[in-house]
Amino acid sequence: MIEEPYRWVEAIANRREYIEAQLAPGTPITALGYRDGILFLTLGQRRQKIFEIYDRIGMGAIGHPGDIERLRMAAIELASTEGFTRSAADVSLRRLVHYSLSPVMKAAFEQVYGPPYLARMVFAEVGERAEEDLFLRVEYDGEIATNGATYAIARQDFAALSGTRQSRELMETFLKDHHRSDASFEGAVNCAIDAWTVGHISLQATDSNELPPRDAVLKYRHERLATSGIEAALLQRDAARAIRYRCLSDTELRSLIHE
Amino acid sequence: MEPSPLALDQNISGAAGDLPALLRRKGLLGPAAEISPIANSSTQEKAWQPTQGTTILAFKFSGGVLVAGDRRATAGNTVVYDRADKVLEIDRHSIMAIAGVPATAWEMARVLEHSLQYFRRTQLQEMSVDGKVRALSKLLRDNFGFVMQGVGIVVPIFATYDDNSKPDARLYFYDAMGAQFEATNYAATGSGSPAVRGILYYENHWGAKPLHQLNEDEAVTIALRALDTAAESDTATAGVDRSGKIFPLIKVVSREGITTLPESKIAAVFKETVA
Repeated sequence: MIEEPYRWVEAIANRREYIEAQLAPGTPITALGYRDGILFLTLGQRRQKIFEIYDRIGMGAIGHPGDIERLRMAAIELASTEGFTRSAADVSLRRLVHYSLSPVMKAAFEQVYGPPYLARMVFAEVGERAEEDLFLRVEYDGEIATNGATYAIARQDFAALSGTRQSRELMETFLKDHHRSDASFEGAVNCAIDAWTVGHISLQATDSNELPPRDAVLKYRHERLATSGIEAALLQRDAARAIRYRCLSDTELRSLIHE
Repeated sequence: MEPSPLALDQNISGAAGDLPALLRRKGLLGPAAEISPIANSSTQEKAWQPTQGTTILAFKFSGGVLVAGDRRATAGNTVVYDRADKVLEIDRHSIMAIAGVPATAWEMARVLEHSLQYFRRTQLQEMSVDGKVRALSKLLRDNFGFVMQGVGIVVPIFATYDDNSKPDARLYFYDAMGAQFEATNYAATGSGSPAVRGILYYENHWGAKPLHQLNEDEAVTIALRALDTAAESDTATAGVDRSGKIFPLIKVVSREGITTLPESKIAAVFKETVA
């Protein structure tokens, strides 16, 4: 099959379609830069979706738990060995994703006889200053989307991840309008929940490609908060401590939510 | 083809949460030193000399566990460094204080520190107190071959605080082979430790209050007096350098985490109750 270029392209297209269908129900995750660091947030009560990778690096992932686990483990192994042999300051998200994860995921995706990774991930690394924060989204085919901190693209201080492209784009549209990088922690929590709601509504109603009205968002969000747990973690900009990653508990966040 | 150092491992190797094993697989950490059965008598003699030129002490007081160490590093009878940090933070609630060969000790602390974090990250839970104590024990055991060869002896103290354990403040001392002993009240290691142990025993039994009832200032007083006493007869222990204004390093581990006492505070207590 792979001797024939056309068949290979077709096989890749089929595979893409299959993976997209597998990932489509994936719950949205947002990562927001705010005044004192970066907030990861999602709603749900099933599997853990937000993970610590290293001192300054966090990850959110949707997809097959087995694949997420392999990629998560690989990222931790790489960061830990680098941090041990050199120093924590030498562990960088850019290198981790560009040199290690992306090529491996691309290779797995394109080798049509082997299994691809059924996973989509968002990484964030907190810097000493907000301008040094880095957000990267990594797709199952190794594609990397930055937060625009590159030539000719306006920088964004957030990243969104969702089951479908449409849902993710709506979240990004929402965040562009509503998220401020100097937001307080409370503001960031509420904005992240709103963005999650926008993304989740889109997953239910796949025909609409416009932002839902505000009252619909509030109503949906209220219903979901009543039945779901909040999963969240912080990457603190506080330079006094080496390990910036901190898990947040549901109870810690409930009191901050504006109903 | 040699696998790329960045290649993803197909079998989920992190499942054991064991960083030393991972580092060894990648060739980043030497293998455990073999214990040579044919060490000749001269090396054996050398190996068993408990010459760790330093003094480390730790005891439980009302605010948690206090760990103190002098700052002197020696090679034979030469002072090579007067600002060595021998009281090291391993994680938010654990301190390892080291006596012995610095190169090995610092490497061991580094491996331990990274191991505990690696465990938490891969296994998504904090390692238990027993697990941490055992992890250090394993590192000492792996190093024992070097101890037998007369290089690389390390005799640490490990202090940690865990709300879920009973008692919540825990203190351990080790021998060079990796046996761990839990101390109820106090522990000391290094060449100046016999003097310190005497003082802590005396204070605990016949002092104004038992050690566990001391407040922070009183605890710092005892620690400074003990280190100064050790330095009186042990050349490898600096105690308090009055002229250079170099004070011992004192850390406290409690529910809130680890606090490094500022030099100004130690200096004030020293001036008031010790000097």
